[in-house]
Amino acid sequence: MLQIENVTKTFGSIKALDGVSFKVEKGEFVFITGPSGAGKSTLINLILGKGKPTSGKIILDGKNVAEILPKDMPAHRQKIGVIFQDFKVLSERTVRENVQLGLAVLDVPQSEWIPRVNKVLKLVGLRERAGLFPAQLSGGELQRVSLARALVVNPKIILADEPTGNLDWDTADKMMELLEAINREGKTIIMATHHQKIVDKLKKRVIKLKGGQMEKVVKKDKK
Amino acid sequence: MSNIHTKTAVDSIVRSPFQAIAAVFVLGLTFFVGTLFSILVYSSNQVLGHFETRPQVIAFLKEDASVEDISKLQSKLLEDARIKEVQFVSKEEALSIYKEATSDNPLLAELVSPSIFPASLEFSLSELSFAEEVIGDIRGESLVEQVGFTANLGGESSLEDVVTRLKNITRYVRIGGGVLAGVLAGASFLVLIVIIGMRIATRKGEIEILDLIGATSGFIRSPIMLEAIIYSVVGVLVGWVLALILVLYSTPSVVAYFGEIPVLPKKTQDFLALFGIILAIEMVLGVILALLGSSLAVARARKKR
Repeated sequence: MLQIENVTKTFGSIKALDGVSFKVEKGEFVFITGPSGAGKSTLINLILGKGKPTSGKIILDGKNVAEILPKDMPAHRQKIGVIFQDFKVLSERTVRENVQLGLAVLDVPQSEWIPRVNKVLKLVGLRERAGLFPAQLSGGELQRVSLARALVVNPKIILADEPTGNLDWDTADKMMELLEAINREGKTIIMATHHQKIVDKLKKRVIKLKGGQMEKVVKKDKK
Repeated sequence: MSNIHTKTAVDSIVRSPFQAIAAVFVLGLTFFVGTLFSILVYSSNQVLGHFETRPQVIAFLKEDASVEDISKLQSKLLEDARIKEVQFVSKEEALSIYKEATSDNPLLAELVSPSIFPASLEFSLSELSFAEEVIGDIRGESLVEQVGFTANLGGESSLEDVVTRLKNITRYVRIGGGVLAGVLAGASFLVLIVIIGMRIATRKGEIEILDLIGATSGFIRSPIMLEAIIYSVVGVLVGWVLALILVLYSTPSVVAYFGEIPVLPKKTQDFLALFGIILAIEMVLGVILALLGSSLAVARARKKR
């Protein structure tokens, strides 16, 4: 599904990533961990096509991300569901409208919007909050809006960049239960986090980064 | 799909109403001047056309001119490309024209007989500038006694003055109005770019999110362009309606001042058709202005990113 081949990324004299290589199979749940500045977000951004590796290849679904033309980049990103630490929801739109945005971007017919949005809102437990604006929601709820927007387009892979970074433990735990449930349904998830408690609890494969280099790959699948 | 873009555009307008008012005000002013300028161009063309098509030159014929000679001269004039609408006016017809003109004083008409009015050939010119040349040629004809020129504006003594003044009025209206409309269109264009640029700056976060979730450039651009189009369309309507009200209000005075010269269409449907055409042209220009302005603003924003 995803192949990272000897990827290096430099910003001036700083090496954000240095020779990182790993593979993620379809349906896998992989953690990318490491301290701040380890290169987790850089890696997520490169997979998203936000910037190109200085060297190496990132192959998603058989395509080298670095070689995707700007005009084809939207199609690449539409295959990915993305969740951010700062939620990145539109403050002027309701929960429902934020989730619908994903469908609008994909040019899904409007007749399909209501059932699909209702389904994911129910999944993330926000069915009753569909008409509220982000300012009326808690941090955990905002992150679930972000997750619902990522899920509604039925992506091939979900990239989560520190999705629990702004949440307390209980909320983060519930969020992880959701992600795990989604993974059980066959979705591939790559999650960058430095929340060790979560990593330890879920017992999934862990790719540890430090100073842009891969420290080790720990296989801890509980299944 | 279009609903989401319309909602985004309308939300953006509602969020910053003063920017929207500024944009509509400047565009409204531009199209107000544009509409008035179009009417002025129409009216000046009508004035020019009036003087160019009415019988401007009268060749008074000698007493002894035979019907055959008159007919020959008439045919000769008809063949001349500079001349059109040649009409023979007999002595009797001249008397009846005189009687009609003096109908408020019948005594004047009783004092004259057809014999004192010469027969004449009246004609108009395809262009007023030919007047002097044509009159010179006609004077050389053996059966022509005298030549008169009817167009007269502001008491000019020579033909050249009449022609020059009419041409100058038309030219000044076109150049002056065109320059003013052009300057205002330029100002509107800049205001649109600035306002759309500010909108893009305030929507930076939203644009970034859309970009990350795979929105195409067209998807991101659509509400921005739609917003510019809304400003333009409202600006066109405001400017056009204000100009229409002003023209309707001043029509009685204008018609009274110009008398028989049809500076504005007399029939309501022709009047509305004229304004309808102006509105349609301004709508097209407004949309082009909006598309160009917003495209430029988007291009500048992308360059900065």
